[in-house]
Amino acid sequence: MSSEFLLEIGTEELPASFVRHALRSMKTSAAELVGQARLETDSLQMDTLGTPRRLALRLRGLAERQPDRDETIMGPPWSAAFEADGSAKKAATGFAKKHRVDVEDLRKQTTDKGDYVSVRVHETGQATREVLGEMLPRLCQRISFPKSMRWGPGEIAFGRPIHWIVSLLGSEVVDFEFAGIRAGRKTRGHRFLAPDSFDLDQASSYESALERAHVIVDIQVRKDRMVEGLLASAKSLGGVLEPDAFLADECVSLVEEPFTVPGQFDESFLELPDAVVISVMRDHQRYFAVRASEGGALLPSYLNVVNTAEDPETIAKGNDRVLRARLADGRFFVEEDRKAPLADRLTKLESVVFQSKLGTMGAKVRRLQANARALAMRSGANADACDEAARLCKADLETLIVYEFPELQGEMGRWYALREGIDPAVADAIRDHYRPQGADDQVPDQVIGAIVAVADRIDTLVGCFGIGLVPSGSADPFALRRAALGIIRIALEGPIDVDLQALIAQAYQAYRGDAKLGAAEEVRASLDDFFRGRIRAMLKDSAGGDVVDACLGAWDGTSLRDLRSRIEAVAELGAAPEFESLAVAFKRAFNITKESARGPIDSTLLEAGAETTLAERFDTVRDQIREATDERRYTDAMKLVATELGAPIDRFFEEVFVMVDDARVRDNRLRLLGEIADTVNGIAHFHQLGTKLQRRDPSVSA
Amino acid sequence: MTFQELILALERFWAERGCLIVQPYNSEVGAGTFNPHTFLRAIGPEPWNVAYVEPSRRPTDGRYGENPNRLQQFHQYQVILKPSPLDIQELYLESLRALGTDPQHHDIRFIEDDWESPTLGAWGLGWQVWLDGLEISQFTYFQQCGGIDCKPISGELTYGLERIAMYLQDVDDVYELQWAPGIRYGDIYKRAEWEWSTYNFEQADTDLQKSLFAEYEKQVAQLLGLSEKKGKGGALVFDREPLERLALPAYDAVIKCSHYFNVLDARGAISVTERQRYIGRVRILARAVAESWYAQREALGFPLLKTSAAAE
Repeated sequence: MSSEFLLEIGTEELPASFVRHALRSMKTSAAELVGQARLETDSLQMDTLGTPRRLALRLRGLAERQPDRDETIMGPPWSAAFEADGSAKKAATGFAKKHRVDVEDLRKQTTDKGDYVSVRVHETGQATREVLGEMLPRLCQRISFPKSMRWGPGEIAFGRPIHWIVSLLGSEVVDFEFAGIRAGRKTRGHRFLAPDSFDLDQASSYESALERAHVIVDIQVRKDRMVEGLLASAKSLGGVLEPDAFLADECVSLVEEPFTVPGQFDESFLELPDAVVISVMRDHQRYFAVRASEGGALLPSYLNVVNTAEDPETIAKGNDRVLRARLADGRFFVEEDRKAPLADRLTKLESVVFQSKLGTMGAKVRRLQANARALAMRSGANADACDEAARLCKADLETLIVYEFPELQGEMGRWYALREGIDPAVADAIRDHYRPQGADDQVPDQVIGAIVAVADRIDTLVGCFGIGLVPSGSADPFALRRAALGIIRIALEGPIDVDLQALIAQAYQAYRGDAKLGAAEEVRASLDDFFRGRIRAMLKDSAGGDVVDACLGAWDGTSLRDLRSRIEAVAELGAAPEFESLAVAFKRAFNITKESARGPIDSTLLEAGAETTLAERFDTVRDQIREATDERRYTDAMKLVATELGAPIDRFFEEVFVMVDDARVRDNRLRLLGEIADTVNGIAHFHQLGTKLQRRDPSVSA
Repeated sequence: MTFQELILALERFWAERGCLIVQPYNSEVGAGTFNPHTFLRAIGPEPWNVAYVEPSRRPTDGRYGENPNRLQQFHQYQVILKPSPLDIQELYLESLRALGTDPQHHDIRFIEDDWESPTLGAWGLGWQVWLDGLEISQFTYFQQCGGIDCKPISGELTYGLERIAMYLQDVDDVYELQWAPGIRYGDIYKRAEWEWSTYNFEQADTDLQKSLFAEYEKQVAQLLGLSEKKGKGGALVFDREPLERLALPAYDAVIKCSHYFNVLDARGAISVTERQRYIGRVRILARAVAESWYAQREALGFPLLKTSAAAE
């Protein structure tokens, strides 16, 4: 077992995202380079450690030395290297010289492409320390950041200026140079609490030595300690910590050793909405909020994670002052905002541009009202309430508080609306129409919010597609993918179904007079395509890409819940043992009848046995299958298909040859299979299920 | 420590560390960065260490003298160290000690804050510096200026003087600051804040500002011989040799354009799309000046390189 290796790069304060990004790239590169250098062992362990001022990599269980290597190196084609009589040409002598062997040592290697010159070389492994010395400059160069900068003479780019490098294998320095800095054993402690540099005697004492110098290098350990401190402080304030994962990650990345300093603010600020108080504390100052109990009222206190706490009173006093000014600003904004009702902002929205070719926010709001009304009619919701919620949903964008705290949009609209005595269901919808904000966010759980949410997103989608602003690659400035996904999720998880075709048509119609969009059919077709792509991306992991494709193929592009029923039905049947043979049979039926004409089946032409059985069975269940399909009872339809047609169609393909010479018999047979295929295709396109079958059992070929 | 003692302490501190102490610029600027001692000197290979106070105008931040923290004109203390020395953070922390603030007893943190001036075609990476939760300075490593990559890199330190003074004097209202013994900040500036806020938000003649913008824009082109046609890859084309261009008067005209744009913006006289266009127009001018300045210094053989070599 060899000793431990440590690399520490000391820098000026790196942003949180930089540390995460850099450590990830360090680990990936190290794994690759260590592998290439043949220093890997089964017990190799790689860890990264970091603070705002240092990036560190620890390798345990490196090979003690690089193993020797015998390698066959391929050279030029034999004919290019040797004359027919076996005498060496220039290519052969050159190749031998390059690898420091004699021409006699060259061998002939026969490959698919002909004969080649090859040579076996023996390479003696180097000591690990030497190998590392060569490897480390490359490793450092490969560390990447979201943004790099240059400093001083401007020659080197890195996340922030580099000040020192520690590179120790056991107790010995692995010598190398990067960014003009020679690696050594000198590290530094906490910027303020242990500012002097000091020597590390060996790699394995890194964590403990740094801890004595007030630096906790392991991010998780530092975070645990920070959270412990926060919980204890909250408790001593007589409350509980408001959990905030984002803030915790942020704060732990701003300190080398975490301390908690509690502070206070005037109780009168608690008349502000909680969201405002929390936003002021969190977004501007990175303070944690404290509640009386879990989900209870806020306490007029906060918890501040700091890097030094030699003089907590001074620190608290300074922070209290800053927070007081910020909260006073917040109170001023809310008081100003409340001087006029929300609806008064609608005139201001008339001069705010939504998108230069799509007109103002005022016009957008009017379209939202029309869209919301149409959706309400369709889902049997209260149309007036939906209209009102749509009318007011963007009004808070023109309030001072939302101008200052954009993340409170919706939340503040709701709060102001409730205080104006507006119907709470409408007020909730003002907040909820922004949901879902992302993949982890919930969809609106009430009808009005869901309707306005859909009305808003489809307006953006139709407008942008109508003027050719279609997402491409990673460019999606209007977040259209997210908007489409929002609509799909609302229909599948929320309180209303959505008829996409009708919705697109309605939203297109609403633009009349506001903007000049592309032709209705083009917009519809490209959006239909876009939605199908989103649906596929969203459901392929849970349902399987081929199942989604098969159902998308049969789906008419209207009800999203209808699509889901199909997917569920196919997935349910897919779990049954008879599914595979069934799928194979219907796939054959489809493929064989793709080009053939449809028409009535002539029972007199049917051959006795398998063909007649299939035809008769199909005749008895066809209407039931079609009825179940029409009524969107896809599971029932699938069951009928499986139980009634499964065995007969299998037997048919085993016993009956379709493409017989007698054209009348053959065409009749194709008409029978064609009708069966069409009936089943009404549920899902079985012929698109091929890949899934192969994945399940490679021996089955369709 | 009064406001003026704060300024004097910083002047002394940075003078002792080899900075030239120069004076604020005599035109309307939004930040110390606009002063040619920063914007132009950050370009090119010549070393440059300088410090100065800059009264900075932010028309949209005016609050008629009614907000205890917001002003349409505030004071920055600007330091440029070019090339940025490796101990620049330590120098900065020492300067806080010179103001009587021992970093040991406070919570001082460097919080990521990248800087970009779209009108100047300039950007850099760096931090805001927090003192017990209060942002007191900005710290930037310039990466680009007037569209030109900086090399060497300038380190820029900008102290927000009002904020630091409020902290040091323990007052919550900027107008209560002691500028000098017996004279408060409000005695000097409260009325000015009201007048300028009224001007910027209500009374500035927008037609006048728009035409001044256009006239000064023309002036820049004329002083530099900036051609309307573009070269390969959008390169600027000049009809005058570098040393025949008047880069400094042209830069003053750029500052004017930027200022009139800010006033128009505060007046709400510019739509969102127009806004982008105005910014683009100033950026082109700033770039033309930056390129001209560089070409001139090059034509002169980068004189300060020789001076610093001789000094060593």
